[in-house]
Amino acid sequence: MPPAKQGRELPSKESAMFKSILKFYEHKQYKKGLKQAEQILRKFPEHGETLAMKGLFLSHLDRKEEGYEFVKKGLRNDLTSHTCWHVYGLMHRADKNYEEAIKCYVNALKFDKENMQIIRDLSLLQIQMRNYEGFNETRHQLLSLRPTNRMYWVGLAISYHMLQKYDTALNVLSAFEESLKEQPDVADFENSEMLMYKNMIIEESGDNLKALEHLEDIRTRVVDKRSWRESKARVLLKANKLTEAEVEYRQLLDQNPDCHAYLEGLLRARSLIGGSADLDVTQMEKLFRLLNELGNKYPRSHVIKRAPLKYAKADKFRELADEYLRPMFRKGVPSLFVSIKDLYKDDGKGQIVEDLVLGYRKSLKEAQRFGEDDALTEREPPTAYLWVLYFLAQHYDHKRNTTTALQLINEALVHTPTLVELLMTKARIYKHAGDEETAVTIMNEAREMDLQDRYINSKCTKYMLRNDRLGEAEQTIALFTRSESLDPLADLVDMQCMWFATECAKSYVRQEQYGRALKKLHQIEQHFVDIYDDQFDFHSYCLRKMTLRSYVELLRVEDKLRSHPFYFEAATLAVQVYLELHDKPKEHSGREDASNANVSDSERKKAERKARKLALKTQNDKAADAGSNKDKADVNGEKYLAADDYLEEAMRFLRPLLDLGSERIESQVLGCEVFLRKKKYLLALRALKKGTAIAPNHPDLHRNAVRFYLAVKSEPIDSIHPHVRTVLEEEMGQLFNGVKDAKEFNAKYLKNCKGNVESLLAAAEMDRLCGGDGVEILEEIVTGETRDLTLETAVKVHMSLVTTFSDLKKADDFELKCRERFPLAGYFEPTD
Amino acid sequence: MINIRPATVDDLLSMQNCNLMNLPENYQMKYYIYHALSWPQLSFVAEDQKGRVVGYVLAKMEEEVGDVPHGHITSLSVMRNWRRLGIAEKLMSQAQKAMLEAFHAHYVSLHVRKSNRAALQLYRDTLKFSVHEIEKSYYADGEDAYAMRKQLKEDAEGAQHGRGSKSKPLNGREGGHSH
Repeated sequence: MPPAKQGRELPSKESAMFKSILKFYEHKQYKKGLKQAEQILRKFPEHGETLAMKGLFLSHLDRKEEGYEFVKKGLRNDLTSHTCWHVYGLMHRADKNYEEAIKCYVNALKFDKENMQIIRDLSLLQIQMRNYEGFNETRHQLLSLRPTNRMYWVGLAISYHMLQKYDTALNVLSAFEESLKEQPDVADFENSEMLMYKNMIIEESGDNLKALEHLEDIRTRVVDKRSWRESKARVLLKANKLTEAEVEYRQLLDQNPDCHAYLEGLLRARSLIGGSADLDVTQMEKLFRLLNELGNKYPRSHVIKRAPLKYAKADKFRELADEYLRPMFRKGVPSLFVSIKDLYKDDGKGQIVEDLVLGYRKSLKEAQRFGEDDALTEREPPTAYLWVLYFLAQHYDHKRNTTTALQLINEALVHTPTLVELLMTKARIYKHAGDEETAVTIMNEAREMDLQDRYINSKCTKYMLRNDRLGEAEQTIALFTRSESLDPLADLVDMQCMWFATECAKSYVRQEQYGRALKKLHQIEQHFVDIYDDQFDFHSYCLRKMTLRSYVELLRVEDKLRSHPFYFEAATLAVQVYLELHDKPKEHSGREDASNANVSDSERKKAERKARKLALKTQNDKAADAGSNKDKADVNGEKYLAADDYLEEAMRFLRPLLDLGSERIESQVLGCEVFLRKKKYLLALRALKKGTAIAPNHPDLHRNAVRFYLAVKSEPIDSIHPHVRTVLEEEMGQLFNGVKDAKEFNAKYLKNCKGNVESLLAAAEMDRLCGGDGVEILEEIVTGETRDLTLETAVKVHMSLVTTFSDLKKADDFELKCRERFPLAGYFEPTD
Repeated sequence: MINIRPATVDDLLSMQNCNLMNLPENYQMKYYIYHALSWPQLSFVAEDQKGRVVGYVLAKMEEEVGDVPHGHITSLSVMRNWRRLGIAEKLMSQAQKAMLEAFHAHYVSLHVRKSNRAALQLYRDTLKFSVHEIEKSYYADGEDAYAMRKQLKEDAEGAQHGRGSKSKPLNGREGGHSH
């Protein structure tokens, strides 16, 4: 018999003390618990369970490392104690090391098979890790141990739902409902939530008729009338019971006429949208009649008012747009332009709107009416003219007609100089024209007009960051962060503010301060880690609250959390930074040394990293001496620059992009960039293929395709495994369509460019990479029409002419043209 | 287009972003999740045609022993360039309807900074709340709050009338918030 087990029994006095220790832990009285534990240990220094408890208390008292030592020692002394294993599991769980925690709990259960606390904790870890099979097993165990507890019934049903075993899940819930009949003490709300959850499972099982039947069955017991009706309407539509669906959607609209989903449902139920063919004239008539009827019934609904503009064409559109715009100008709605500009994509609608509003402008100026032939009854308010100018300024800015836009907004500002919205738009026009500096000045004027408004403060901060004025930006945003803490920016991190971190990172990248940029980007990554962890507490909470539909929704949202645009933006930037660091690390070390000139590339890299690590270490030591937080001391993000393998670091951000954002071309392009550098040709090829399916002519994808082709062809024959080479050759045959070399592939691409400047630029650069000079293509770009050129593209072209082609003559010619096309752009301003 | 619809868990990050852009009282994501998973019926978002959240109301129930059940507005805000469309009012009206329907709330309460005259005006004049009491040093920085209330039974009867197109001052700042 192992000695440790012998030592578990304590004399009655100490045994009582040990029990009180457990109580102290439950009540979070960690100091008292620690004292008590130490008292026992004075007499029984090797007592495993007490040692483990002491460790647990220590870790709660900010002495985690020591804590782990005691827990491990305790466990060594008593390997068959469920308490010791449980404590070790709790430590791992607190550290969010869920895999290890699960192992500990499983061990604990070996020695105490029916410990409810441990089984429950294990189930929480399993659902957190999405181990649905294990979760299901554990949930079974819990229910069989406590069949009267309703939480365990529901928990088991969820586990089957997650395994998509709908019928079993429903049977469990039904059995539970039966048992409720004997103890109907469940609150209305909770019961209602449970019933609606059951309906959710039926709906997801795909049995529409059963779902409808069930809805009728539970009708009187559901307090969430809105969701009940939403479900009914939705399922009726799915079951193609259109007449009945219409009734429900009309009722929903009556409760909330501003809800787009209800309007859409109604139109679908009337077969007016969602069909495969376009509507014919009669159907179109019906559609407008219905929307008109609804508009009269719900005159305040913006969704209904705006809907016909989407479907109407030509003269009908003109008529409806006229009706829509006038009251908006009369009232003065700042968002008017934003709310209709998406219609500009449709043929000719933008022109119709322009004609209409220009007409208003003329007529308002002359006669204070929208139309010259309007009845002479009431004149429009003078502000109508102002809002028309405001609208037109945005309209022309949208067309990048900067001169006209500025004339209009300036006229509006003469009219009403104190209107913050006008200044904000003026700043925007300058920003679009490339004059970031003036944009900031004007946005700051706007901010100073309304110092109480955080929105304008945020906008102004963003503009400052876009102009790389970080100090000013920090001071400005700090006006609205909590003043209690010493570091006003810490509040933004605490509150998980992502836009500010992203904009800072972008600015640091422009300034080539890659360490600082990475620090901000990792901060965003950490927010996502935290938000993923947030779900943990809700695994047990929702079983009590019975809000199971929302709980399941939470699990699903967390599963694809990193598909969020905030993450996408941060992650793409982070991968780009790591690629930049990988490609030319010497520029960022700031320690370039002439004596390094003869050293090979990899050796130099190694030396630099060593130096950086050393610097980091000294810095950290200093920081530790000063007693301050290590992470905070590293303002320059040296830690990230000191990484051993930038490509491996990039993978952390790339993986979620490829898993959850695979439908975006940027993900595939970056995937290819990274895998190509890692010489993972099959993975690179996969990214290329996926990218080709998304946007075959994308310039960055083309650049990667050519680089890939050249890289594979230049690999020595024996450096690629023959099997891999076979697959590569086969797949490349398809992707590159049998071209004889990269140059020919590029020539093919060039034919598809159709005057698109970004594509032409890619073709020119790749021509050069394939041994050509790209001159003809560059000539086409530089002498081409600039009317449709965007500022962003123009800058790219100019930079490439200077850096990639070193063709200063062409760069200067192009610059002159661009100065004419973008007269306000800071980038093309003469330098002297 | 402005679409007013019930908030889902998927909206929470955008709501948090909207809050951080507009208001000085901010919360961590866990607090938003707590709202969505405790009272899924009560919070709403306003989104534009691109699906961007331009306004939201984050609401909860107060279920203290000894008091009648009542709703509470944790936070309400609308992006500045989307004002004058009555969005705040529509969001509030939906939240109040849900409080009454799913939780039998007797009234709804909220807090406003004493210095925030624009918000006070919105709640009192447009949304028909009245000041119930002043809570001393309610906010972290020591500022007092107006605790405002609105009876819900009346609202259920009169929700659809008396709300003509009233224009608000341009610098009207919407936003009521508390912990």
